[in-house]
Amino acid sequence: MKKVAISLYAAATAVLMVWGFYQAIYVAPDERTMHEVQRIFYYHVPSAMVAFLFFAISLAGSICFLAFRRNRPLWAQAADAWALAGAEVGVVFCTVVLITGPLWGRRAWGIWWTWDARLTTTLVLWLIYVSYLLLRRFAAGPQVQTLAAVLGIFGALDVPIVYMSNRWWRTQHPAPVFGGDSDSGIKDPAMLHAFAWNVVAWLAWGLLILALRYQVERQQQKFAAQEAQNALDA
Amino acid sequence: METRAILDHQFTVAAYVITWAIQLGYLAWLGLRWRAQKRDAARSARNSR
Repeated sequence: MKKVAISLYAAATAVLMVWGFYQAIYVAPDERTMHEVQRIFYYHVPSAMVAFLFFAISLAGSICFLAFRRNRPLWAQAADAWALAGAEVGVVFCTVVLITGPLWGRRAWGIWWTWDARLTTTLVLWLIYVSYLLLRRFAAGPQVQTLAAVLGIFGALDVPIVYMSNRWWRTQHPAPVFGGDSDSGIKDPAMLHAFAWNVVAWLAWGLLILALRYQVERQQQKFAAQEAQNALDA
Repeated sequence: METRAILDHQFTVAAYVITWAIQLGYLAWLGLRWRAQKRDAARSARNSR
């Protein structure tokens, strides 16, 4: 039953991805000033939104790990697996943002990169979570999970700064898509539909790989516990 | 087709291709890790008996 549900979800996600691609490439009209290159927006912005969501999941997992690590070790291990899965999949989406953004910027602004507030804070966010993953990968000892949880919480503090950066400071980055002033945002309904479909599709895809990453980590935790037990029994 | 339109098209294609390469590459890496873990878990269970 579980396998059928997962297969159905994966199939629905694949259909959504194809539909999102069709909307972005064939249905949405060309933007007036940026023309075709503006279609990068339909992958760039949803990727950023999903990355923010997954860093929030990592934050929640880190807080729960610190809260439960003494009283409820099993809950703490599950929370830690969510924190790691959220951080890692978030980094994957953030990497997409940091690559598609400069591709767009090169055509729209004539430059690959500028040290404006939105770009810089996003790069800092990516670096913090990459350091989180390196800590998880290469550090050893009983305190690694706790240190990683603290780093994960600090990393998540950058998310609202990234979100607000083009509201707080004058930036070269385009105005906010949502929550900006009356001049910003998507006006064309076809563009809005294409954008909404891609947000749904990338969210569905992201949740699928997040769940898979969580399962891999839980399996790793069980394997480590089994190995420790084997060592004790030997 | 003018040069600007050709370049716009190439940059858009690059962005879409790179996005999918990253996402599918990560999915493949997860799949390989999953399979390796299953194998290690089976070996560990055999050794514990």
